[in-house]
Amino acid sequence: MRKVLWTLLAAAVPLSTAWAQDAYVIGVSGAMTGPVAANYAPVVEAMKAYLDHVNGRGGINGRQVRVVVLDDQAQPSRAATNAKQLLAQDKVVLLLNASLSSTYAPMIAESKRAGVALYYAGAVCPKETYPPADPLQFCSTAFGANLDSQAALAFIKKSAQDSVRLGLAAMAIPIARAEIDYAETLSKTLGMTPVEKQISPPPAPDYTPFATKLKDANPNWVWSWSPWVSQVRVFEALRRLGWNGRYVTWAHLNAEEELARIRDAEFYVVGTNAFMEDNLPIHAEIRAVAARAKLEHPVSYLTEGFVAGLVVEQVLRSTPWPPTPQKVLNAMNNVKVDMKGLRGGPLEWTRNNHFRTRQYYRVWHWDPQGNRIVRAQDWQAIDVKR
Amino acid sequence: MSGYFRTRYGEDAALLDTRMQKFWFVLLVLFLVPYPFLVNPLWLDLGNQVLLASIGAVALMLLTGYAGQISLGHAGLLAAGAFTTGILFKELAAPFWITLPASAATGAALGMLFGLPSLRLRGLYLAVSTLALHFIVIFAGSEYETRRGFSTGIVIDSPISDPRAWYFVLLAAAGATLLFALNLLRARTGRAWRAIHGREAVAEALGISVHRAKLSAFVVSSTLTAVTGCLFAYYRGFVSAEAFSLYLTIQYVAMIIIGGMGSLLGAVLGTVFVVLFPYAIDSTMSALRLSERFSSVIFAINYTAFGVVMIAFLVFEPQGLVGLWRRARDWFLLWPFKQRPLR
Amino acid sequence: MQLAVNILVLASIYALICCGYVLIYRVSRVLSLAHGELMMLAAYGLYGTATLFSGHPVLAIAAAALLAVAVGIAVYFALMWRMTGESVLAAVLATIALGILLRGAMILMFGTQTQHPLRDLGWTNASLAIGEARISSVGLALLASTAFVYGGLAVFLRASRWGIRMRAAGQHPLLAAQRGIGLHGVYALTWGLAAFTAGIAGMLIACDAGLESTLVIIGLKAFPAALVGGLDSLVGALVGSLVVAAAEVLLIHYVDPLLSDVVPFAVLLAMLIVRPWGLFGTREELDRV
Repeated sequence: MRKVLWTLLAAAVPLSTAWAQDAYVIGVSGAMTGPVAANYAPVVEAMKAYLDHVNGRGGINGRQVRVVVLDDQAQPSRAATNAKQLLAQDKVVLLLNASLSSTYAPMIAESKRAGVALYYAGAVCPKETYPPADPLQFCSTAFGANLDSQAALAFIKKSAQDSVRLGLAAMAIPIARAEIDYAETLSKTLGMTPVEKQISPPPAPDYTPFATKLKDANPNWVWSWSPWVSQVRVFEALRRLGWNGRYVTWAHLNAEEELARIRDAEFYVVGTNAFMEDNLPIHAEIRAVAARAKLEHPVSYLTEGFVAGLVVEQVLRSTPWPPTPQKVLNAMNNVKVDMKGLRGGPLEWTRNNHFRTRQYYRVWHWDPQGNRIVRAQDWQAIDVKR
Repeated sequence: MSGYFRTRYGEDAALLDTRMQKFWFVLLVLFLVPYPFLVNPLWLDLGNQVLLASIGAVALMLLTGYAGQISLGHAGLLAAGAFTTGILFKELAAPFWITLPASAATGAALGMLFGLPSLRLRGLYLAVSTLALHFIVIFAGSEYETRRGFSTGIVIDSPISDPRAWYFVLLAAAGATLLFALNLLRARTGRAWRAIHGREAVAEALGISVHRAKLSAFVVSSTLTAVTGCLFAYYRGFVSAEAFSLYLTIQYVAMIIIGGMGSLLGAVLGTVFVVLFPYAIDSTMSALRLSERFSSVIFAINYTAFGVVMIAFLVFEPQGLVGLWRRARDWFLLWPFKQRPLR
Repeated sequence: MQLAVNILVLASIYALICCGYVLIYRVSRVLSLAHGELMMLAAYGLYGTATLFSGHPVLAIAAAALLAVAVGIAVYFALMWRMTGESVLAAVLATIALGILLRGAMILMFGTQTQHPLRDLGWTNASLAIGEARISSVGLALLASTAFVYGGLAVFLRASRWGIRMRAAGQHPLLAAQRGIGLHGVYALTWGLAAFTAGIAGMLIACDAGLESTLVIIGLKAFPAALVGGLDSLVGALVGSLVVAAAEVLLIHYVDPLLSDVVPFAVLLAMLIVRPWGLFGTREELDRV
C-alpha cells in the first residue's frame, strides 16, 4: 500500500515544471480553502479571472500572464512551503499573499531570501508597507492599520451633534487589539471620551456579556475594527439589549450584502472600495468577467480581487521583457494605477511608500425609507505620510 | 536456537546485532545522506518537516505509547519551546546556544506541571487536564504577542538558512533523539514506564515508584517536545500563537496512532505518513486531473480524508503502520508457511 | 439583573451541549469529542431544511431535529460500536477523527460562507424585556428548551422502560446484557438523543448568531462544564454549566473580557485537582486499576 502511494507521489511531482520562458509568471499563496477562505478565496479568484480576461485580450506587452495559485489553508507552515515551491520550482517574479496575517512572517522570510517582491493582496496591510517602507513588501488591500481608525473617528466627529462617548470593540487577535488601542488614544486627542473597550475572544458562543459591559458604559457611538463576524455580532447583541446608539465598523468583502440584511439606519460601514450599486462601467466589466469564469462568489465580494488584478496588470506592463524579480521590483516602486472608480483615486506606490500615497474613504449606511444603501460620506482623502 | 551468539557484553548492549540489521542500516544511511542533493526544494522541505516532526512524535510516543500517559497538550508544549526561543531572542537577543537549553528547561518545568495531574488522574481525566493546560499555555503566548505588539508573530533570525544545512542538523537531532529514546527504553526508566503502563498496582508492588516514573515520563517527553518547538521556531523563522492549535496536537496523536503505539519505528512511520498525507492528496488530485474541478474544496477533501484514514486505522489496524509492516515482514519471513508452528 | 439573564442564557447553551457528553459517557463510558461537529451538522441541517421547506418553518425545524437523531444513530452503527472494548485513547481519538471527518464533509457540502438560518426560516430575533433586563427571543428559546430537555430526560430515564434500560447499561453492561437488554439498541438510542440535544443547541446558536464553521469550538468550550459537574450526572451537567457560565460572565464584566476564553479551562483544572470526579459524579470511576 505504501509502495503505491510513493509511486503516485513520485510520478506527480515532476509534472510541475517551470515554463517561465513565454509568460509572466506570478505566484499566489492564499487561504483558498478552510474556515477563513470565504474572505480570501474571492480575492484570488477574481484577480485570476481578470488576468485570464487580459490574456484573452492579447496579454500584457504581447505576452501571457500565468498565475500559479497554491492553497495554504491559512496555516503559516503551509504558506512557507508554498513560498519555497513558488520561488524554486515555478520561478515566479512576484509573490502574492492572500491569507491570514499569521502567514506573513514565513513568506517575508522566503521573499527576503530570494529577493522577490511580496505583495499582500487580500489581508490587512502590515506597518512595513507604510513609509518608510520595507523594500520588498507591497500592499493594495483596502484595510490600513491606524488610517482606518483615523477615517472613522473623523467621520464620527463630523457627524456627531453632541459630545461623543465612544465605545470600542475588537476581536482578541493581536492586530485588531492594536488598532483599537490606537483608536482609543486617538479619540482622546479629538476630544472624544472613550468610555469602554471590549475585546471578545474569537469563538464566543454568546456576545451578550461583552455587549452588556459595553452598553453599561453608555456610549453613543461605537467603533469596531475586526473580522466581520465579531463586528456584526457585537452590534446585534447591543441592539438586542436595547442600545440605540450609532455603530461604525469596517467594510469587509461582505459589507454590501450585510447592510441589506441588517437594515439598521444607525449601522455605518467605512471602506475604501466602491460598492456594486454605484453601477460604474468597471462594475459591468466585473460582472462579465465573473460570469465568464463562472465564479461562485457573490459579485460584491470581487472588488478587492479586481483591484489586485488592475495593479498586477499595470506593474507587469511597466516591466520590460524578459522579466526578472528586480525589474518587477523597479516597476512596483514607481507605479500609479487607475482604479476606474473602484477606489476614490489612483493607487500610487513609490520607493518609500508601498501602501499608497493617498487613501480614500467612503461611509455607507442603510436608508430604511428608500430601502437601499446610501452614502453617508463621499470620498475623503487621507495622505499617507511617515 | 537462533544461531546468533553473543559472547561479549558489548554485543549484548549493541543496538544492531545481526548482519542483516547492519546491512539495512547502512542502506538507510546511504539513502539519507545524499538525499538533499538529489531532490528538488519542495521534497527537501518535506524531508526537513518530517525530521523535525519525528522528534516531537518520538517524545509523544515515549509518553503515551510506552508509559501509557495520555497527553493532549502536545501543541502547548511545542508552543512553550517556540515562545521561549522567541521571547529570549526578541527581549535579550539571545543566541541559539542559550535559547536551546532554555527551551529545554521550560519544557522540563512544564512537564512537571503537566505531569502533576497524572499522579491522581488516569486515562480520560488526565487527557482532559493536559488539554486544559494546553489552552492556558496558548493563551499566555498570545497575550505576550499582543502586549508586546507583535501582531503578526515574532520573527526570528536563524543561524542556519540553507535548507541543506538544516537537513543535516535535523537529521543529527532526530538521530540523537532516537538513540536517546532507544537507550532510555532499554534502561531502568524505560522498563519502569512499561511496568506502569501494564499494571500500576503490580509495578508499585515490585518496588517501582509509580509517581517518579510518571513524572519522569512527562518531564523527558516535554523536554524533547520543547526542543522540537525551539528548532521549529528557528527553522520557520517565526513564532505565532495561531500556529499551535488543537489540530496540531491531533496530528501528533494521529502520528503515533497511525504509526503504531508502543514502537519507535511506528513514531517515525506515522510522522512520514501524516506529514506527507496532504501533499499526497494534492498529487493524486493533480495526477487524476481533478485538481481544477475540486481546487476550491481541497481543504475539505484533505480534512475528510484525514478523518477517514484515522478512523480506518483505528478500526481495522489498531497496531498501525508498524502492524502492517510486521505482517508484511512475517509473511515474507514465514513463506511458504502462513503461521508460526506451534511448539 | 442583566448579568443574571446573560448567565442563564450562556449556561443553557453549555447545558444543552453537556447533556450529550453526559448521556454518552454515562451509558457507554465513551467521551465523545465530536459533539461540536454534531452541533454544526444539525445547524447546517436546519439551513438545508429551511431552504427546502421554505414557508413551513415548524416543519423545517422538526425535519432538522429528526435528521440529527438519525445522524446520531448512524454514527453509532457506523463507527462507535466497533470501538467498544478498545483503549480509552483509541475511543477518544475515534471521536476526534469522526469530528474531523464531519467538519470536512460539511465544508464540502455547504462551503465556508456564513449562513443565516433564522432569516431563511422567516423569523426575526426580537428582543424581549424581563424587568429591566433584556433577552432575545432565541435566548428565551434556549432557556425553554434546556428546561424541556432536562425535564424530559429526567422523566425518561426514571420512568420509561428504555430509560431504565439505559441506566442499567450504564451501571453494569455485562449484567444488563445478560438480563436481556439489547446493548446495541440502548447505545444507538443514547447517541441519537445526544445528537438531538446537541442539534437543538446548534440550531438555536445558529439562529442567534449566524452559521459558520467556527461553531464547533463552542462544543469544546462546553466540555469543562460537563467535567465540573461530573461526567455521568445530568444534574451535575446543569450545575457545572451554571458555574462555568457564571464564572465567565462575571469575569468578563468585572475583570477582563479576554479571560473568558481561558477561564472554563482554569476552572476545569482546579476541579480536577480538588475533586476529579466533579461535583456530582460517581467516585469509583477513577480508582479502577
